[in-house]
Amino acid sequence: MGDDSFDIADSGASLTYPMQCSALRKNGHVMLKGRPCKIVDMSTSKTGKHGHAKVHLVGVDIFTQKKYEDICPSTHNMEVPHIKRKDYQVSDISDGYLSLMDDAAATREDLKLPENDLGKEIDSQFEKVDNIMVTVLEAIGEEQVVAVKYTK
Amino acid sequence: MAQDSLQCLAQLASMHGPVFPDESAQVSYLAHLVEGLLSMINGIEIEDSEAVGISNIISNLITMFPRSILTALPSELFTSFINCLTLLTCSFGRSAALEEVLDKDDMVYMEAYDKLLESWLTLVQDDEHFPRGCFVQPAVQVFNSYIQCHIAAPDGTRNLSVNGISSHEEEEINELQEDDRELFSDQLSSIGMLGRVAADHCIPLLTSLLEDRVTRVHGQLQRTQQHLMASSDPGSMDRKVLDDLYEDIHWLILVSGYVLADDPQGETPLIPSEVMEFSIKHSTEVDINTTLQILGSPGEKASSIPGCNRTDSVIRLLSAVLRTSEVESRASRASLTDLLSPQMGKDIMWFLRRWAKTYLLMDEKLYEQISIPLSTAFGADTEGAQWIVGYLLEKVISNLSVWSSEVELSNDTVELLVTLVEKRERANIVVQCESWWNLAKQFASRSPPLHLLSSPVQRTLMKALVLGGFAHMDSDAKQQYWAEVLHPLQQRFLNLINQENFAQISQQEAVKQEIVATLEALCGIAEATQIDNVASLFSFLMDFLSSCIGLMEVYSNTPETVNLIIEVFVEVAHKQICYLGETKSMKLYEACLTLLQVYSKNNQCRKRNDASAEEDQYQDLLLIMELLTNLLSKEFIDFSDTDEVFRNQDQGTPATNRTVSAADVVLYGVNIVLPLMSQDLLKFPSLCNQYYKLITFICEIFPEKIPQLPEELFKSLMFSLELGMTSMSSEISQLCLEALSPLAEQCAKNQEKDTPLFVATRHFLKLVFDMLVLQKHNTEMTVAAGEALYTLVCLHQAEYSELVETLLSSQRDAVIYQRLADAFNKLTASSTPPTMDRKQKVAFLKSLEEFVANVGGLLCVK
Repeated sequence: MGDDSFDIADSGASLTYPMQCSALRKNGHVMLKGRPCKIVDMSTSKTGKHGHAKVHLVGVDIFTQKKYEDICPSTHNMEVPHIKRKDYQVSDISDGYLSLMDDAAATREDLKLPENDLGKEIDSQFEKVDNIMVTVLEAIGEEQVVAVKYTK
Repeated sequence: MAQDSLQCLAQLASMHGPVFPDESAQVSYLAHLVEGLLSMINGIEIEDSEAVGISNIISNLITMFPRSILTALPSELFTSFINCLTLLTCSFGRSAALEEVLDKDDMVYMEAYDKLLESWLTLVQDDEHFPRGCFVQPAVQVFNSYIQCHIAAPDGTRNLSVNGISSHEEEEINELQEDDRELFSDQLSSIGMLGRVAADHCIPLLTSLLEDRVTRVHGQLQRTQQHLMASSDPGSMDRKVLDDLYEDIHWLILVSGYVLADDPQGETPLIPSEVMEFSIKHSTEVDINTTLQILGSPGEKASSIPGCNRTDSVIRLLSAVLRTSEVESRASRASLTDLLSPQMGKDIMWFLRRWAKTYLLMDEKLYEQISIPLSTAFGADTEGAQWIVGYLLEKVISNLSVWSSEVELSNDTVELLVTLVEKRERANIVVQCESWWNLAKQFASRSPPLHLLSSPVQRTLMKALVLGGFAHMDSDAKQQYWAEVLHPLQQRFLNLINQENFAQISQQEAVKQEIVATLEALCGIAEATQIDNVASLFSFLMDFLSSCIGLMEVYSNTPETVNLIIEVFVEVAHKQICYLGETKSMKLYEACLTLLQVYSKNNQCRKRNDASAEEDQYQDLLLIMELLTNLLSKEFIDFSDTDEVFRNQDQGTPATNRTVSAADVVLYGVNIVLPLMSQDLLKFPSLCNQYYKLITFICEIFPEKIPQLPEELFKSLMFSLELGMTSMSSEISQLCLEALSPLAEQCAKNQEKDTPLFVATRHFLKLVFDMLVLQKHNTEMTVAAGEALYTLVCLHQAEYSELVETLLSSQRDAVIYQRLADAFNKLTASSTPPTMDRKQKVAFLKSLEEFVANVGGLLCVK
């Protein structure tokens, strides 16, 4: 495993790594127009019967849900973002910010409650249930809450 | 008038049966018909709109009149007919080619051409009735015409429009468009057959054209290379010459593949008898050594080898394809890959796979007579076979590196590799090649360039490497092989997940990649399952499955990984379950049950933010349902031999210690899946189909478990069945109807009167009754509904009578009332009182046919 240069230590860490276009997979991730996207559609075409393949990518920004598209020759490399997920327990919500605690009891209060249906759900359920967990997604230096889990 | 007349003639051409009092009447009818047909065709200029009609007439008369009648025609008439058919076929072929150039929406000549080629196939396939050799000349003409239409000017007429101007449109072609080998498979089958009939002409023709094109491609590539080195503008190069050559080669290879071999699904293909006879016939003129020399020197022009006109033609045609492959390889080694055609690469791989399945290491026992050149070149224990295997292996390895970016070509390449190792005789030779071991090591170490291949291709590569491992090797070699191929996989994986801080590092990219690569490899290994390797593979895979369940927890927030884990279980179940005996099956059921328990726990309540949340949910539900359906399939397909396969390996586990059965796992799984199946999710067709397949399977296989389900679950199931019957596609409706009989029989068996299932079946009676009486359906549906109705009527006789009464009493019209009343009486006349007796049921179904014919649709809501 130590063969690659994906150093995940703090400084000098690369945020993306290159991958040949044809090796991408649907439901995987890729950088499109500078944004980290989940690939929702991937198809190939060629120009003329004896042409080389081109890949059409349609992706959705994992933070903003905005749609992006791109076409590239299948031999080219695309950048793929490093994605990290971490689960936290929600201990408090105040002023639109979440107080979170991880399983090592470390806390953070720098993440906002997202301004969407997910955020509304977290807010409304927080008072009602015992234990509410959120998943924080990190990519290209940005972080956001993307999922919630609780038992009713 | 023309269309109607042609239709009428087509029907007259399909006359058969007792209308002919005897054979001679049939013959004279046919003669009359053919005379009329010939004078019509010869006397008119055929309009576009008439082509299909005319081809229908010919097709019908060839299909519907027995061979003996055709041969009884006066020989002059028969000859004229065949000549006319020949000319017509060639003419329609040319017009069809023009239609393609003009890219017409309605390709009438193509349709007519297809029909005529189909007729040729019917004619020549049954050669015993016809005078020997009577189809050779026609075959030559039709074959030549096909080739001419498919290769470029000046030899052919491809892409030339009427005024001789060639078009060279470069259109965008989507991956979803079928390859020509599929799109034109019917045409190619006919042409292939005709090529065999006239092998003397056709096989050498293909060879000389292909050899010529290969030489020209070689030359053109060299010229282009020099041009590129001299000029700084690669865009100034005109690809037209190369593209025309590639297209010629494309069709020549396709036709050659269809002439030399067949590809029957699931059987071992034999060398076509016409090809074998052709090779045997000329074998006295053949010099074996020269032939082998031509075969073994793909880098040299065949014509430059002395004595080349004394080679076996079948082998020389194969050699021409190998020469094409060699030019391709050399060009890519000279960094000219950009100038090559992936399509041609695919064609080469396709041909070699088709050829290898039939010719490589042929089993002489399967043939009445064998051609000495062929058996010397490719037979068992020959140097030729060894050389070819080595050559093909090198090509595969080269392709996997050069063409990793072309998914379809990579796929065709690994499929050739699978073909080389899936039969023991071939695998035994493959594993003697050093390059095979290098490939295995390279793949196991995940080093470039194999890691660039797309996931599906890597899976198939893994499958091939595992299949190769079961070739015949001495025990040391075998141990070493698994040490190279499988143990690194296991070692790396265990080292990783057994690390104390695994949970913390699990999100690191390198770690995730390792996990994903391992899971993909496991799918590939499962795919390599064959009846004689299932024992060892099962043990290997089971070890992993337990660890995978642990991964479900670690990656519970990463849907793509969770799905891949479930997919591993799906593949193992899919490929192995039908071979596993009781004990091993149980282990698998236990593992699956644990998987489902973990999945359930992690999915108590989730809401995701992504737009693709719905699709994520759909993905894992689909996989789980596939898993459950695969586990159930053992009820239908069971090749296991009550643990005989494992007897030596598995002692001391009493089979009576059953802890988990298929029913347990499946019902647990259904318990999880059902509440998650919302109306919205049912809109995904694949999910919907899989869901209904699963629940109707359960009703049919474990009807006794249905009453034992928890109340909520039972209600959901019944509701789903009702929904399926009334608001879904006809396939799903049918499945649901078929599920009703076992449920009703279950009630009848237990003599239940007031159980929820009894009540539910009473409700279904009304639904099915309404379906049959108030709606129109096709025959299949009516039969399915009828079967369901019968069993339900047996169970709920009073209710049925009530339904009939209610329906009748609501009729205002006295005539309709009477018709209905009579129809109902007749319906149940033969089965009163109705019992679950098979004979009565059959009688009922027959009456139902009449009933529907009589009053079906009478009450349909307009």
